[in-house]
Amino acid sequence: MRNPLIIMIITFFPIIFLSFTHKNKTIQTSKAADVNYIIPNDIQEIINNSCYGCHNNDSKSIKSKMKLNFDKLSTMKIGKRVGKLNKIHDVIEENEMPPKKFLKKYPDKSLSDEDGEKLASWAINMASQYINE
Amino acid sequence: MIKNLSILLFICLIILQFFGPSLPEVSNINPNDLIDNNPEIPEDIKTTLQVSCYDCHSNETKYPWYSSIAPVSFLVVRDINHARDELNFSNWEDMSKLDKASALDDISDVIIDNEMPMAIYTAMHRGTSLSNNQKESLVLWAEEFSDHMFD
Ligand code: HEC
Ligand code: HEC
Repeated sequence: MRNPLIIMIITFFPIIFLSFTHKNKTIQTSKAADVNYIIPNDIQEIINNSCYGCHNNDSKSIKSKMKLNFDKLSTMKIGKRVGKLNKIHDVIEENEMPPKKFLKKYPDKSLSDEDGEKLASWAINMASQYINE
Repeated sequence: MIKNLSILLFICLIILQFFGPSLPEVSNINPNDLIDNNPEIPEDIKTTLQVSCYDCHSNETKYPWYSSIAPVSFLVVRDINHARDELNFSNWEDMSKLDKASALDDISDVIIDNEMPMAIYTAMHRGTSLSNNQKESLVLWAEEFSDHMFD
């Protein structure tokens, strides 16, 4: 009865030990490349309703597509991605997007204060995760 | 008649001199300057930035003699204030990493789009317009320099 218990402890101890050291290691060497770029569903919905129409691969406006393309954001290099995410936050805080002219025509695409706040905080939080200091 | 008009115009211009806005201040010692604080920036990039951008986007503006003469002075003052507001390399290290990343992204955008340096400036200042090689290196550098902040 005692032997299996000892064997179990002996085999599990290193595994448990290793898993702890492994965790510590990933925390210490956390790299920008390890950050998981995810868009939660509620955020995706806000983007689809108020932004995606102008900022996607097939957008007719070259200018808006070049400044921000949600289809490219996930494959962009880190520096560029962080720069774009930070700008998403900024344009919402400054009420620059969606463009006012566009909203006059399509008032249903406007961003409610609550949705704007959600999108802006997602963008700035996502961007901040890449900073490791 | 034409003579009278031109005299009137001349008098107006003289009067305008006294109402011209003063040129934005120049300072050559800037502890937070991009180039001074980042010796790893390649020489060719430093030169490009200093030659083609620093007159407007830094505190180290070198004014040509005619820039203090109205009505040119009005344009110069407006552009330089506006340019420094948008991006001032003399204050680089004051910015957060996120704002630096956005600024570097703006830099590659305006270069790819041929928006900068402003056309009126390159027309007046010999040697400040960018060759295709310079544009390419500047865009690549901006991306790398930005990535490097998040290594
Ligand atoms: C009607 C089309 C349209 C919609 C909808 C729209 N945008 Fe834009 N956006 C543009 C255009 C056009 C530009 C380029 C403006 C310019 O540079 O003058 C732009 C630029 C931007 C930029 C770059 C700004 C800069 O200064 O570099 C960001 C970031 C942005 N949009 C975010 C958003 C977000 C977030 C939304 C949704 C809340 C949104 N946009 C909705 C057309 C649109
Ligand atoms: C003659 C003055 C002048 C020169 C030279 C100049 N700029 Fe600008 N720049 C401006 C002005 C004025 C603005 C603001 C006007 C605007 O936003 O359209 C500006 C805006 C910018 C912006 C912000 C654009 C945005 O969309 O937010 C960037 C980035 C920029 N310049 C980069 C550069 C670079 C890089 C160079 C050198 C290759 C350069 N500029 C040379 C005057 C200048």
